[in-house]
Amino acid sequence: MNKVTCECGHKNPYGTYLCESCGKPLKDEGKLANMRYEGVARRSQTYQKSIVDKIWNFFSSVKVGIWIIVLLLVTSSLGTLFPQEMYIPPGEDPSLYYAQEYGILGQLYYDLGFHNLYSSWWYMLLIAALGISLVIASLDRFVPLYRALKNQRVTRHTAFMKKQRVYGMKENSEALDIKALSTSLKERKYNVREEDGNLLAEKGRFARWGPYVNHIGLIIFLIGGMLRFFPGMYLDDYVWIREGETEVISGTEGEYFVQNNQFLVELYDEEDNEIFQEALMREGSPVVSNYQTDATLFKRSTEGSIGSETELEKVKDHSIRVNEPLTFEGISLYQVDYRLNELSTFTFGVEIEEDGEVQALEEVVFEVDLNDPQMYYEFDNGYQIEIIEYFPNFNIDESGEPTTLNRVPDNPRIIFELYPPDADPEEDTGEISLIGVQVNEPLNEDHDHTLRMLDVEFVDVTGLTIRRDHTLPIIIAGGIIFMIGLTQGSYWFHRRIWIQQKDGQLYVAGHANKNWHALKRDIEYLREKHDLPETVDQADEEVKEKDQVNEGGRDKNV
Amino acid sequence: MRSAILLVMVAAIAYTFYNHFSEERGLVDAGDEAPNFVLEDMDGERVELSELRGQGVYLNFWATYCTYCRQKMEYLKDYHEEYAEKGVRILSVNVDETTLQVERHQQRYDINYNLYIDRNMLVSNAYGVGVLPSVFLINENGSVIERQIGGKTEEQVVAALDELVPES
Repeated sequence: MNKVTCECGHKNPYGTYLCESCGKPLKDEGKLANMRYEGVARRSQTYQKSIVDKIWNFFSSVKVGIWIIVLLLVTSSLGTLFPQEMYIPPGEDPSLYYAQEYGILGQLYYDLGFHNLYSSWWYMLLIAALGISLVIASLDRFVPLYRALKNQRVTRHTAFMKKQRVYGMKENSEALDIKALSTSLKERKYNVREEDGNLLAEKGRFARWGPYVNHIGLIIFLIGGMLRFFPGMYLDDYVWIREGETEVISGTEGEYFVQNNQFLVELYDEEDNEIFQEALMREGSPVVSNYQTDATLFKRSTEGSIGSETELEKVKDHSIRVNEPLTFEGISLYQVDYRLNELSTFTFGVEIEEDGEVQALEEVVFEVDLNDPQMYYEFDNGYQIEIIEYFPNFNIDESGEPTTLNRVPDNPRIIFELYPPDADPEEDTGEISLIGVQVNEPLNEDHDHTLRMLDVEFVDVTGLTIRRDHTLPIIIAGGIIFMIGLTQGSYWFHRRIWIQQKDGQLYVAGHANKNWHALKRDIEYLREKHDLPETVDQADEEVKEKDQVNEGGRDKNV
Repeated sequence: MRSAILLVMVAAIAYTFYNHFSEERGLVDAGDEAPNFVLEDMDGERVELSELRGQGVYLNFWATYCTYCRQKMEYLKDYHEEYAEKGVRILSVNVDETTLQVERHQQRYDINYNLYIDRNMLVSNAYGVGVLPSVFLINENGSVIERQIGGKTEEQVVAALDELVPES
């Protein structure tokens, strides 16, 4: 790496604008010095060698960073054009749905992965690029800036002084009382350093670190998001449990189980509740006060294999309510959904038609558990009933065969074969009929009997989400650090005043990263007490000279 | 230094992508030790995977409402005896349907080999079964050599069974 040696003897990295030590401009760039990053060489910007350097330089560029952010913003907003995959009607095939619903645009939307934006590879790459850009751009700027501010000398080159925005000079008639000046500055909470009758007063340097703290927060935030993809860090699943049933909790590798003892929905009582009475009356319909699952957590006993010999040990009971999850080992079960009145048991009776009169057979009454039906039902009076087929969720498939869609008894159909006492189940064919909700069809001839559904029992089903999120503390920490950095950079500002006596001249120069007004006021305050030259804002002068307005922004410091 | 920082970032991102896009890899997949389990057939006869060491195991998860499972189980009818002699056990495990349905299914399709029911889907969960049919080919040493998802042709089923024939 080439070094540039300044006349003060300091060796500066190639690409330095202002000597890191004395501030002498090494490149002549107009009337005012470019104080951005103290005029130091941004680490990598100035030479290109290996592929690593090229990658580094690419991501170091703020321009590139901004483009990444713009791309993320544009693609994120495009992603809201049509619903995301998780919001399309359940059961729809996304590969067909988008084209059907939104035409060619929809197909394109699906093909490009907008339907599942946050998981599409290019969106993830963009976020990754943003993270890399943040790390590299921050490092590239923070390290040199930190070094420059740490190593800055009190005595600056005269050219540096002249090129500061706030600047003044005059004949130094009588020796300046540096001590008194220093005291005045300290009263205004400046850090003052002296050297050979020259002086550097500085205040609020820590505001310069704000943006970097802010970036660290962002990076931690992104790391938190990234960790969600690491095994064991994040889990978001759900489970449906019927009352009285036990289900395995996914993500625990078959180790934990939860039983739904009871699910309840409670309503506000309009009469009793004085506080809310008025609001409840206005609502018109009943208002739910509580959704609750009384659950029991079980753990698989270490003995025995998985499967039919699994033994469960009770861990604890808990009533899961909204915002009161059942929590164990970093996993929480939240109440999110429910289904009331899922069919659970049918009770059947048999009617016989004799001489035009319909009569119920009181002895032939039986229950069919829709989640575990028996195959044979025998009765004392000799009747036998057999279930030939059971379809929990009846459907006719493509080949015209009756089948079931799944194992949930949403639309149960049962094919019964009934044998009167005089029939032999081994040889004779009984009376076959198909029965379901509002369905009762004989499937063969000559029925003397009719099966009647006498009663239906329902069961409530609770829907719980299973959630484990170890990344949340990291994301929160990132957010807090982000805000600290933002505050640090926004509500404090860095100002410096240089006072120098050289060759019978007295120079004053000032620099602030923002809020120049406060800096000028500080200098005015000093002038009232001490014999200092009048200062001018050279940026204003320039504006006047060029007769231009709105030259703002030129001295903005990152 | 710079290369090191870049390397760390690229490695982290690559790992994230790997995790995200390797979801096709099952909870249990080729190369893994097959989790042990115990199941009972329709007559209550128990089978434990660890006791089948020395034999290849064709572990087939199915349901009565799964058309591809039905096809596959039709093919298996013709081969189960032949391969039983060669040292390959076929375990067809139903994903927690009612006993009645499974029995009727067996009768309706005239299935001449044992069927097992995975009550509460304990084994299915342990094997990460999401889509049916899911087949795990477990070799004589108890490790999974392949995980097959979806419908398969008769030739493919036979090829899978051949793979499972123990050496020696």
